[in-house]
Amino acid sequence: MCEWCFKHGDGGKWYNNARLYRNELADEYNCSEYLEEQWKNMETLFIRKIMGFNSIGLGYKMKMPIIGKVIRKVVEGQIHSEKKNRNPVRADGHFGQVLPLEDAQHIIGNLAAEPIIKNYCVCRWMQRGVKDAVCINFGQLSEVIEKHTRYIPEGVKYRLDREEAIQALQEQNEKGYIASVWFQPVPYINAICSCETPECGGLRLRNDFDLRTVYKGEYVIDIDIDNCQGCASCVSMCQFNALRYLPSVKRVIVDLDKCFGCGVCRHACKHDALNLVPREDVPGQAGKY
Amino acid sequence: MVKKTKITVDHSKCHTGASTDPRDCRKCLFVCDPAVFLMHPTLEEHPDPHNPEIWRIDPIWLSKCTGCMKCVKVCPEHAITVVPGVSLHEMKAR
Repeated sequence: MCEWCFKHGDGGKWYNNARLYRNELADEYNCSEYLEEQWKNMETLFIRKIMGFNSIGLGYKMKMPIIGKVIRKVVEGQIHSEKKNRNPVRADGHFGQVLPLEDAQHIIGNLAAEPIIKNYCVCRWMQRGVKDAVCINFGQLSEVIEKHTRYIPEGVKYRLDREEAIQALQEQNEKGYIASVWFQPVPYINAICSCETPECGGLRLRNDFDLRTVYKGEYVIDIDIDNCQGCASCVSMCQFNALRYLPSVKRVIVDLDKCFGCGVCRHACKHDALNLVPREDVPGQAGKY
Repeated sequence: MVKKTKITVDHSKCHTGASTDPRDCRKCLFVCDPAVFLMHPTLEEHPDPHNPEIWRIDPIWLSKCTGCMKCVKVCPEHAITVVPGVSLHEMKAR
């Protein structure tokens, strides 16, 4: 369990806490207003100046002495902000965590507030020019996104019942997309994305600049050496470069420091060699989110 | 000082005066493996987000550019220039 579980989990994982999905909680934090402002201008997030800096050339800015450290502190403070005056256009308090398909489906089946919709992934559209209706949003966020028709998939049923959303997550996960759950803003939960690197804005900031926009999952992968036949099918599924095939020992190895515990690699394994184990049970990975 | 990658998109060629809306073209976004480019509306308030005039394509994750030049070759309006510099991967290794 990460720091957010201790803050908002009420004794469990934060994303399994039913209270954080409730309309009453969203109203308490004026989430509808925040989401409206945020989604009206979502595509301008990275060109907007925050205290004099926008994200253009962020990699170089963060390598500058002193200034780089200041930027890191300020940006992480905003990402994790729980203050009253959060700025929606720079997405203050908006962050998430990678999770395996089973946990994502549990959320949609039992916790997510209705209505549930699927809409175009904003990240994939603005970074790759691809329209891919894979984002599952719910609760007050659905009603906000519906007003902005450019996010709504054309010619398909976009309001989903729970069964349809569970099935959609299944298909997307099997394709290789990583399931992730999002505070928007903390502590209100209203989205499960099916992310892809390098387009995903959250994973971009985490992978390339080590900003904690997306936390690693509650699990890591465990390779059963006896079962692994060395087919290497799983390697192509991993978006974090955590898996690699070694010809000398004819099996796949994992770099656990890179593993986010999304479990997507399991779909490719036909030999029952890949299983998720709780991160906390692996001494070298416990507490590293 | 690290030598930064410089990428320019000439908005007088991409977009205004160009034969295509950047959102219809978007070839540079598709060919760029590290997804350096961003397609976005300008920062002003826009009553109509569908208006093609407000959309731009700009390079944003400059330190992720690996200098393959595919965007320069694919642009039908010859609007993109790239001067490769140090990439993020190289900086990490230092």
